[in-house]
Amino acid sequence: MITRRDLMWVVALNLMAVSSCKQHAAGPEIVYNCAANASDIAALEKEIPAFEASSGIHLRLNPFTGQEKLYAMMVAGQTPDIFYTNSTMRDYLAAEGRLLDLRTVSAGDPFVERLWPAILTAGLSVDSGWYSVGNWSYTLGVYYNRDMFDAAGVPYPDTAWTWENMCAIAHRLTKDANNDGVPETYGIFMGSHFVEVLEMTNGADIRPQALTASMTRESVEAFTLYLSLMHEKIMPDLRRIQALGMQPSQLLESGRVGMLVEAVPHQMLIESMKIRWGVAPFPRIPGKPVKYFRSGSGGLSISAGTGNPTAAWEALKWIIGCAEVYQPNPVLQDVDFVGGWESRYPQLVGTGFRDVWDLSIRHDGGDPRFFVRYSSWTSASILERLQPLLDRLWAGSIDVGELASLMPEVNARVRRELSDLSKKEGLRPAFRRDIEVALKGLDSGADRSPDR
Amino acid sequence: MEQSHLKKPYWQTIIWCSGAYLSLLIMSGLFVAPFAWMFSVSLHDLPGVFAQPFQWIPERAMWRNYADVTSLLPFWRYTANTALITALTVTGTLLSCSLVAFGFSRLRFKGRETLFSVCLATMMLPGQVTMIPLYMFFSSIGWVDSYLPLIVPAFFGSPFSIFLLRQFFLTIPKEYDEAAMLDGAGWLRIYWSIVLPLARPALATVALFTFIGSWNDFFGPLIYLNSPELATLTLGLNMLKSQIVGTGTTQWHLLMAGAVLIMLPNIIAFALAQKHFIKGIAMGGLRG
Repeated sequence: MITRRDLMWVVALNLMAVSSCKQHAAGPEIVYNCAANASDIAALEKEIPAFEASSGIHLRLNPFTGQEKLYAMMVAGQTPDIFYTNSTMRDYLAAEGRLLDLRTVSAGDPFVERLWPAILTAGLSVDSGWYSVGNWSYTLGVYYNRDMFDAAGVPYPDTAWTWENMCAIAHRLTKDANNDGVPETYGIFMGSHFVEVLEMTNGADIRPQALTASMTRESVEAFTLYLSLMHEKIMPDLRRIQALGMQPSQLLESGRVGMLVEAVPHQMLIESMKIRWGVAPFPRIPGKPVKYFRSGSGGLSISAGTGNPTAAWEALKWIIGCAEVYQPNPVLQDVDFVGGWESRYPQLVGTGFRDVWDLSIRHDGGDPRFFVRYSSWTSASILERLQPLLDRLWAGSIDVGELASLMPEVNARVRRELSDLSKKEGLRPAFRRDIEVALKGLDSGADRSPDR
Repeated sequence: MEQSHLKKPYWQTIIWCSGAYLSLLIMSGLFVAPFAWMFSVSLHDLPGVFAQPFQWIPERAMWRNYADVTSLLPFWRYTANTALITALTVTGTLLSCSLVAFGFSRLRFKGRETLFSVCLATMMLPGQVTMIPLYMFFSSIGWVDSYLPLIVPAFFGSPFSIFLLRQFFLTIPKEYDEAAMLDGAGWLRIYWSIVLPLARPALATVALFTFIGSWNDFFGPLIYLNSPELATLTLGLNMLKSQIVGTGTTQWHLLMAGAVLIMLPNIIAFALAQKHFIKGIAMGGLRG
């Protein structure tokens, strides 16, 4: 006969069993808000038990990411311990004191020495605090269709080729069989978002953490070079590409362009291209210092509210330096990045990938997207005004000189945003000072156009 | 004589019908094309997705993509999670909204119209505005990382469904209520035994809208769920996307295969409820 007392025992035992299932290994729990796709998440989850066993840290993945989610979690006091930040967002969060200054947990840690210096400096903010560690890096290169080069009798580009060389090749690859002024095949395509790289290659002074928009003479020259690709009809009109709705890789794969400026490595390109292809470094500009783009803007940050900063730092180091899914990680100096990728994708061997990567390491020009147009507190207000101007520039309604002369107008909007920001409560002093300096600069007319 | 005068010539009818059907065909084509593309991509391999020109009918259909997407993600678990949330949300919405709509359409009380206006006014608030306060509230009562914030609000009514049902209930003659009252029925009995059975088309419409909204909801689960094992299908689908520039390929073919699978219940639900749905919209939504 089962009594009520027996039943209560059964219920209690079940509850204990259920609650014990939820318990995890003793030690601190670190939540990682992980921006990764399903395969990467699955791979990470397989590796986590080994990390937990060796470190005594319980690492929990929260794979659902998004800015809205992160902000909601922050205001509710549930910020994940580790999460991804881009440089714009990072500065905002650092200014509000929401991020841990990694110097407090990394002092004397040999892991810091393993990072490329550019990755390290990319994580610094205006108060010299270190708020993020880049978790990925890439350079820029020119992918080319070898069959098209062979058919046109054009030798493949070498590693020292220049912008002029590239344009000359693009002319030879451009074909307008029916002479209607609209080529069927263009020599090159370079997305407008890569103009900053051309500016940097042309020696433009890219000011990290700049809060206002400006255009130096070198930038103006770079824009002119870029526009000449379209004017000379060796690159398809940007509006035409938008209308076609094609991915850049499709342009190369379909034979509509012979060369394509894109990220190196670019996993989707590597996995999807069936043509015979090679990759060359971004062309140099004669007379300018040799510098190659190396991305390092986004990275992993630790919440200032984390319950266990040391454990969070250990977990972050494991993610970047050990988790197999991210290895070989290009942010680390002591890994054979090219070898690792060539063994993963044998089709990379002989494409020029190694040369492109090696050059970017030897002549690391950093990440010009730190340039104010894309990455600073005021980037949103700058882009709001600058983007329509750029669209007009690509459409030929204004010229580069007019664009440069409109910078004070763009900065008028920035001024308003900076003013509002400077009044914000809870802003850390170093960040407030930085805003005040920028405001003074605007007042003194430091944003006036360059001598053109 | 008069009849033949009124009757259109045969050729004119043919032309009119052809024109009408042709335009309907074109319009249908416009709506079907994205779905056809999605289905076609789901049968390609990754390079095939980017091939130019795009092959609408692939040389070799990759049916394996469907198996791959169900193995790459815990697809059936996500399906069960989504089904649970959707079933409870639909139940909650039907119960709460019909009851509130019944009150607004049948009961006479002071401030009824004002209250109804306030109820409708809540529709004006975009979800983004209430997101943070709601998150903080649910967080303070410990509901984050559970299904409760996704399900429980459905049991407290939704203004659009209340409006739709109220409009439909107004079309049901009040004489039925009076007859039931004479037989001794109270308001709840009238609601349950008279009004609800007569309002099947409107209920089907609300159920369908809620089903589609809840099944396809991405933002709610994204905000409130943290544990992978609680994920819904839309969150799972999002995990097929590339997250880092230059690496982590977006597997478009699998993404589309997943999208086709996720869409199927919506299509089935619509096919089953189509008759009621159209009637419900016509009688409920459009009547002032």
